[in-house]
Amino acid sequence: MKAALITYNQAHIEEVERVLNQLAIRGYTRWTDVQGRGSINGEPHLGSHAWPSKNMATFCVIEDAIAPLLKKMLRGVDNSAPQQGLRVFFWQIADV
Amino acid sequence: MSLYESSVKKPITTILIFLTVVVLGIFSWSKLSVDLFPEFDMNQAVVLCTYSGASAEDVENNVTKLLESTLSTISDLKKISSTSKDNVAIIQIELNWGTDLDNAVNDMRDRLEMIKQSLPDGCSNPMIIKISTDMMPVTIYSATAKESSSALYKILDDGLANPLARVSGVGSVSISGVPKREIIVNVDPKQMEAYNLTVEQIGSAIAQDNINTPSGSMDIGSETYSLRIEGELKESELLNNVVVANYGGKTIFLKDVARVSDTVQEKAQENYVNGAKGATVVIQKQSGANSVDVMNRINKALPDIMKDLPRDIKLQEVMNTTDNIKNSINSLMETIILACLFVIIVVLFFLGKWRATIIILMTIPVSLIASFIYLYASGNSLNIISLSAISIAIGMVVDDAIVVLENITTHIERGSKPREAAIYGTNEVAVAVIAATLTLLAVFFPFTMMSGLAGLMFKQLGWMICIVMIISLACALSLTPMLCSQLMRKDTKQSGFFNKLYRPIKKGFDKLDVQYERLLRWVLGHKLITTIIIIAAFIGSMMLSKSIGSEFIPMSDNGQITGNIQLPIGANVDRSREIALRFENDVRKEFPNEVKTITTTIGQPSDDDDNSWAMLQTSGNNYISIRVKLTDYRERKKDMFEITERLRQIAASYTEVAKYNIIAGGQNGGFGGGSTVDAEIYGFDFKVTEDLAQKIKGIMGNIKGFTNIVVSREDYQPQYQIEFDREKLALNGLTLGTASSFVRNRMNGLTCSLFREDGDEYKIKVRYDRSSRHSVEDIENILIYNSAGKAVRVSEVANVVERFAPPSIQRQDRERIVKVSANLYGVSLDVATKELQAQLDKLEKPSNINIDIAGTIVDQQDTFSDMIMLSLLIIMLVYIVMAAQFESLLYPFIIMFSIPFALIGVFLSLFLTGITINMMSAIGMVMLIGIVVKNGIVLVDYINLNRERGIGIKAAVIMGGKSRLRPVLMTTLTTILGMLPMAFKIGEGSALWQPMGVVIVGGLTISTMITLLFMPVIYTAFASISVRKYHKEGKGKLTRRNTNLE
Repeated sequence: MKAALITYNQAHIEEVERVLNQLAIRGYTRWTDVQGRGSINGEPHLGSHAWPSKNMATFCVIEDAIAPLLKKMLRGVDNSAPQQGLRVFFWQIADV
Repeated sequence: MSLYESSVKKPITTILIFLTVVVLGIFSWSKLSVDLFPEFDMNQAVVLCTYSGASAEDVENNVTKLLESTLSTISDLKKISSTSKDNVAIIQIELNWGTDLDNAVNDMRDRLEMIKQSLPDGCSNPMIIKISTDMMPVTIYSATAKESSSALYKILDDGLANPLARVSGVGSVSISGVPKREIIVNVDPKQMEAYNLTVEQIGSAIAQDNINTPSGSMDIGSETYSLRIEGELKESELLNNVVVANYGGKTIFLKDVARVSDTVQEKAQENYVNGAKGATVVIQKQSGANSVDVMNRINKALPDIMKDLPRDIKLQEVMNTTDNIKNSINSLMETIILACLFVIIVVLFFLGKWRATIIILMTIPVSLIASFIYLYASGNSLNIISLSAISIAIGMVVDDAIVVLENITTHIERGSKPREAAIYGTNEVAVAVIAATLTLLAVFFPFTMMSGLAGLMFKQLGWMICIVMIISLACALSLTPMLCSQLMRKDTKQSGFFNKLYRPIKKGFDKLDVQYERLLRWVLGHKLITTIIIIAAFIGSMMLSKSIGSEFIPMSDNGQITGNIQLPIGANVDRSREIALRFENDVRKEFPNEVKTITTTIGQPSDDDDNSWAMLQTSGNNYISIRVKLTDYRERKKDMFEITERLRQIAASYTEVAKYNIIAGGQNGGFGGGSTVDAEIYGFDFKVTEDLAQKIKGIMGNIKGFTNIVVSREDYQPQYQIEFDREKLALNGLTLGTASSFVRNRMNGLTCSLFREDGDEYKIKVRYDRSSRHSVEDIENILIYNSAGKAVRVSEVANVVERFAPPSIQRQDRERIVKVSANLYGVSLDVATKELQAQLDKLEKPSNINIDIAGTIVDQQDTFSDMIMLSLLIIMLVYIVMAAQFESLLYPFIIMFSIPFALIGVFLSLFLTGITINMMSAIGMVMLIGIVVKNGIVLVDYINLNRERGIGIKAAVIMGGKSRLRPVLMTTLTTILGMLPMAFKIGEGSALWQPMGVVIVGGLTISTMITLLFMPVIYTAFASISVRKYHKEGKGKLTRRNTNLE
């Protein structure tokens, strides 16, 4: 079991939901209006005057086998609009 | 869920809501009536009080002064002036504009009630008359006839006036200029004396012989019959056989002592239209009715009515107030359509995309049409103010939508789905868009609170623009994102043709960006030179402003000229007629293509005329009223003012003419009638003030530009006065009342009964034959009988003397006054007034006499001081809105730098177009405050954003400038081009709003340049100061939040 935290520009919400549906990932937790900044080139998403865009974050726990698929599909989404920003982070879950 | 989110998610609901608004708007529009100005109350009332037998001075002392002191305590009183004449006191009350006249009149009535007992005996109850615009005739026709001319009155009354009066909205139709039928019993004084008869006895004999008496009813058998005595004469001939007396056993018939003539009134007003004698038909509307509606109904009904009139009767329109309204409204409508077209072109030009253009343009009809709902709901009309408001707003309603659309496009280009881009793109700019609209509301909302004359005009403008702006904001936050989500696509393919067409434009824009950047860099490198140039330009324009004249309200050419020519006192109708016809002839010879109709009216209306319009007009045997209607302004080369000036010259060239007063535009409630300058001479002594008035008239005559100079004091009138000796009257058992009624009945006539024929009534009048009423002896020979039947001649109890009646006494603000007033031609109001003031200062005058300059200049000063207050209020409000938006006191200050420099453009454009500073251009300047700062907000906001993103001051300024160049140019160009038709369209009434358009176009053009080039200089200057200060204090990292000076 792996935990996946997807943080993305709020404009990506539909695509992220589509990916989760396609992979039959039923359970997730979503935060709207989260802020953040990319490590390398990513534009800040701060909801402020200078950086008005905002992020969302979706947290879900998935089977190990699905993780690479999720990663691949989300990369596809990210590549479709690289300026918007989308990242997914995985880590091991000890117990549910 | 926010507004834009729900509208994007529910496109059907959104579109249907806006569709409902549009449908309601169109419905309201179809119901709106058309008028020239928004409806407002007039601010004048007149109090009339008669005091029979008193001379002007008696009236002044006993009645006028008392009434004045009572009435001067009412609230909101602006001016109180009075005229005291023989027998009557007339007090004119002028209230502040916008006062509720009904309340004021009630107030006046209460106060008059209190002092009623203090008025002298024999003084009538004071009567209050409200002056309203409804008194102005809607239209005046002139009717001429050939064969039917002898019965013209009856034909017109039955065939034209009665059917017209039935048209809904028509208040009264009165006919003048044709004598009515009258049956005159011309008695011979000698015969009467022989039979011991009096006019009164003959009158009562006729009255007794000419009556129908219902005499009850009687039952015969089973039927009831009513009983009647039909004593009325069937024919006027039969009057001859009325028995008036028995004398020495012989029956005396009326024909023995008098000659009965079935004729027309002896004296009546005469009207000449283009030289032909005719009747005048004056149509007034019911109070509250809409002139244009009434006129439309009249025009619809008229062909049917004309069908029933005899063929030889020709109707001609002499005056029509609604033509001007219709033409003005139509030319404004054209202006609006042109403005719409310009805005479409600009949007397409800058966006280069069909879909985006359509989305933006949708906001125009929606917000404009919705404003009609407001007009309809608030009971207003389509008038030049509400339409100008729309014309002003067109360029501004698209601004919000453009900002929203631009941001959504950016999001889509960065890869968002249109739906999300629409929601989040709108979200990001919502606050900025609301703030921009708020600055405009800060400008236009104070308009709704204006008072005075300007308030009447601009209240509606303020409301209209506020409402349009709020609706356009709602559109930008709901309709625009919704349409974007539905219509916008990433990389939508444009057709090849369009691309080919647009590529050079795109290249041009790219080049402009580069050029601007280069210029901006140069400017930032040469701050001192730039500042010097700008300040020099500012000072230069201030110098220029000195040569721009000023006036109150720009005059517009409505094609009407009215006026009067007066011959010396005592001239009879024949001489007046000759001059009138000569004047008509000369005018038509001089302006064959310009003058459509010229109407002159001479003589007095008879006492028993029911023509209220004629009664309101001044008239007299020596008085010629003139009314000229010009042809359509497109068809003539000379304007109304030029023609008016020439008419004055023609009138002045007649040696017989004593006075003339010819006014362009007609007197329609003070608007468009042209400026007047009055010198008011306050002083008690008639002689001294009269001399001074003549001197001032001479001075005015020598100043260039003064024309049509009139002294308000009337000349002394010659008259015969019968001075009864009260003692002798008493000895003969007579009173003054009886004696004077004897004289009146014989000279003026006694209306004793009515003759009925075909349902119409005609007066039967008994009076002396004409041959016995033409000398002083005739008066002296009148016999007066006392109650005992004893007769005395007038000469035994009275002296008949020729006298000059003193003129009426005019007062203003409770002091005697003589006014010398003049119209202006070819000179501006302020220059003329200054010149006159300088001349008057040199004039030697007694110490107890005051001379003031009044007239339009007073209204102008009042209004301009109102405007200055308004601008200060607006500047403060705009500053507050901006300070709140930037959370800073410095940035609004920097942005406001563009306001004074906008004046460079204002004065330059006024100078180049030769337009004066007047109420309309002043309003334009006030509007500029809000429109000008909008650009600054966009620019400074983006520069700040760049700095917050960590970019240095200079780079932030240059980047900001470069990226905001197109949006600033686009919103500015929509506003400027939206106003352009207003500024340059020549149409009827355009003179009124042209100054506003010119000021905004000129001011905005220059101020945009200032915003784009000079504001970056100021910004960097202030920002550098704060940065240096910050470094000196050695604090940590610098961010935009702590670069503020405060």
